Amino acid sequence: MSIDSTTRSTAAGSESKPRSVAFTALWPASVGLGVRNVRNIRRLPSAFLPSLLMPIIQAVAFSGTFYAVTQIPGFPTDRSINWFLPLGVMMGCGFAGIGVGLTTVRDIESGFYDRLRMTPMPRLALITGPTLGALARAMVVITAVFLVGLLIGARLTDGVIGLLTLYIAGLGVAALGTFWGLALAYRFRDMRGAAIMQLTFFLALFLTDAQTPLSVMEGWLHGVARVNPFTNILRLGRQGFLGDVTWADTWGGLVAIAAICAVTLWFAASSLNRLRD
Amino acid sequence: MTTIVAPGRDVDFKPSIGAQTWEMSKRAIIALARQPALIIPSIVFPLFFLALGSSSFARAIDLPGFPAVNSYLDFGVAGAIMQGVLFGSITGATALATDIENGFFDRLIASPVARPSIIVGRLAGAMAFGATQTVFFLIVLLPFGLDVDGGLIGALMLTVSGTLIALCVGALMSMMALRTGSSEAVQGAFPLLFILLFFSSAFFPRQTMSGIYKDLAGYNPVSYIIEGMRDLVIEGVSAWAVVRAVVIPAALAVLTVLLAMRSLNNRIARG
Amino acid sequence: MLKGMPPSAPIVTDGLQRYFGSGDDLVKAVDGVDLEVKSGEVFGFLGPNGAGKSTTVRMLTTLLRPTGGSAAVAGYDIVDQPNQVRRNIGVALQDAAIDPLMTGAELLQLQAVLYGLPRSQHQAKASELLERVGLTAAADRRVGTYSGGMRRRLDLALSLIHEPSVLFLDEPTTGLDPLSRMNLWEEIRRLNNDGTTVLLTTQYLEEADQLAERIAIIDQGVIVREGEPEALKAGVGCPTLFVSVGPDEVDAATQVLGRFGDLRPSNEGTLGVGLLQGPGEVSNVVRRLDEAGVAVSNLELHEPSLDDVFAEATGYRLEGAEESPDGAATAPHEMSDE
Repeated sequence: MSIDSTTRSTAAGSESKPRSVAFTALWPASVGLGVRNVRNIRRLPSAFLPSLLMPIIQAVAFSGTFYAVTQIPGFPTDRSINWFLPLGVMMGCGFAGIGVGLTTVRDIESGFYDRLRMTPMPRLALITGPTLGALARAMVVITAVFLVGLLIGARLTDGVIGLLTLYIAGLGVAALGTFWGLALAYRFRDMRGAAIMQLTFFLALFLTDAQTPLSVMEGWLHGVARVNPFTNILRLGRQGFLGDVTWADTWGGLVAIAAICAVTLWFAASSLNRLRD
Repeated sequence: MTTIVAPGRDVDFKPSIGAQTWEMSKRAIIALARQPALIIPSIVFPLFFLALGSSSFARAIDLPGFPAVNSYLDFGVAGAIMQGVLFGSITGATALATDIENGFFDRLIASPVARPSIIVGRLAGAMAFGATQTVFFLIVLLPFGLDVDGGLIGALMLTVSGTLIALCVGALMSMMALRTGSSEAVQGAFPLLFILLFFSSAFFPRQTMSGIYKDLAGYNPVSYIIEGMRDLVIEGVSAWAVVRAVVIPAALAVLTVLLAMRSLNNRIARG
Repeated sequence: MLKGMPPSAPIVTDGLQRYFGSGDDLVKAVDGVDLEVKSGEVFGFLGPNGAGKSTTVRMLTTLLRPTGGSAAVAGYDIVDQPNQVRRNIGVALQDAAIDPLMTGAELLQLQAVLYGLPRSQHQAKASELLERVGLTAAADRRVGTYSGGMRRRLDLALSLIHEPSVLFLDEPTTGLDPLSRMNLWEEIRRLNNDGTTVLLTTQYLEEADQLAERIAIIDQGVIVREGEPEALKAGVGCPTLFVSVGPDEVDAATQVLGRFGDLRPSNEGTLGVGLLQGPGEVSNVVRRLDEAGVAVSNLELHEPSLDDVFAEATGYRLEGAEESPDGAATAPHEMSDE
């Protein structure tokens, strides 16, 4: 990742021709890898469709089966889809990110990842590139779940700003899911990592107020959900469907996303470095 | 002396359907037990969901439409059993599809193994797993306050029910494995099972639902089986509960096993 | 030692080591390799599977960190300056692992981006390389539909996008049909003529003989021979006579052959002896064997080849070095006709 490499490389070897190669910057390399990730949606729809359909099915199924949950005294909305739509979005976005981990496990197993690692791009691009792809997938998922939700009765309670917070929360979850998935892919280098990334994300997302608000639930889950940062992220994404968008319901989610992203990104970067060991 | 040996060997090699089926069942059960990574999700996830529900929906049981229950745990255990058995059925059928993919199935067909034992063995494995899951769920949940009103007989009926559901779904999934011969296609059935489970009264009573969703849950046979099982837990043993929890899955099992047998014959005929 | 002063050679290693595992499971995959590949040469790196070839190449191409020792490629330290190394090397991998969902043109485009080529050059560079490896017609097809030979050619094109000064070819022709192999050899020669230094790993002795100006033989993580093929062959000295006998007569035949020179490793069912007095001894060998009552089913004489160099250095012959899978007795000789 040294900057002065191009000038020094010409000094190497007596036969060296002048290099036509410039410094590979983070952004173009990331876009190149991100484009590959997105293009494969179209190439391999059987891998993408379930990850698009499952959050939709989940949102519809939860809001239908737990239809009466909104009648519990103190429930913040009277539309069950308003409560469960953001949960479906977070689920779908998380798996959009984790899907990158799965692809990477396959690339490592096939050897294609060696080819990528041998290029002089900044190491960080190996992480940020597929993250761009995951964010693009997440955009599709959020939009699709929202539109289907609208059809079956979801309503924004504070206008477009509430949709914005949903997108922010969803994209944040997609990013941290990608970092987490990549880190485990680098650590395990086989499908064991894939099982662990899915399971852990599932647990993290559901040990929250996923099904009912903190004020309504009783028992052990309350204590867990209260301290789980994913509860904050859900609150961030949900507020536009439960009432007014407020800074009080926003900042906790933003901090949670930033903190988890920082930790998982660091974990991914250090795990990537260990691929050389 | 040599004249005695020859017919004796003949007798030894005469296929006994019972013994073969037993061997095939054993193989299926051992295969399941040796792959904890495949069966653990179908045990852990239902329990996890039930644990979540017992906290999240503690106050939901007072809502109009809910039957009189002591806790959401009592209400939800039937749905958890159904969830475990449904998702567990994917494992056995995937193994069957893998057998077809890697040619082991053809080797069985080429051997003097009685044809039905190939599939009956698998289904027996599925039934054993379904029964184990049910018993395991009941025992694990007892210390958390599960109260089966039907008592020991109720618990026994629940186990029979879980076993029959496993047979029923196992046969259905085996049919899919035999038709497609692809383990991916079998695993791709996951969303279908998810819909079958969630578009039912597995987690909330049908009486609390509304609109099309309520209608769909009303058409879904899974709803009735679960409600029968639930009654065994929250009301006790009654003829009506047994009809729904045991007789319906038994009748469905006859149908699905016949269909699976037909798929088996079709595959053999196709070569 | 390598750091600081500019090394004159494109690839220099000094006591390069790579161990895997620890304790009782410690595997010394590469155990102190010293190499110097000179500018503009084709260097053959020979060894059987598991000898340490690929591990060495993975270290030199910055995919793997060494356990000990040091190495510089294109003048840069492989540990401290990996990105400078990457910028100057091209690598074609053994398995030609390429994303099967992408087309050839897309892969070249991606490679151009990742090597930081100016955008304006992407198109021309990609077309030029596709033309060069004969894949212009298949440029817009997914790689998943390519044949094995096409993948190798694409892999080579990918490794050339940034005009590297040092090219690593890891078993480039393994599994290719003879015609594809010849074509690839042609291309490698052409690249070398243009001034590219090539390190070629192979388990095909013929390939090394054909292409390499110098070779190194690695066995169990250690370089056992290094030099020009001709010099190495001359070092083996006298020609080898291979005698095929029945299993019961091996002892008797061994005794007879021992009188004519030192016994040399050979494939099963065959005995090899280095004829100290040269080819003229063959008739004497036959007579003595006959006198000893040994029935000879096949008899072959061949001049020293890389195969002999290898056998002499390692104590065994390279599996898969020959094309002929049938009859171990005839296998060692085909190559000597070159």
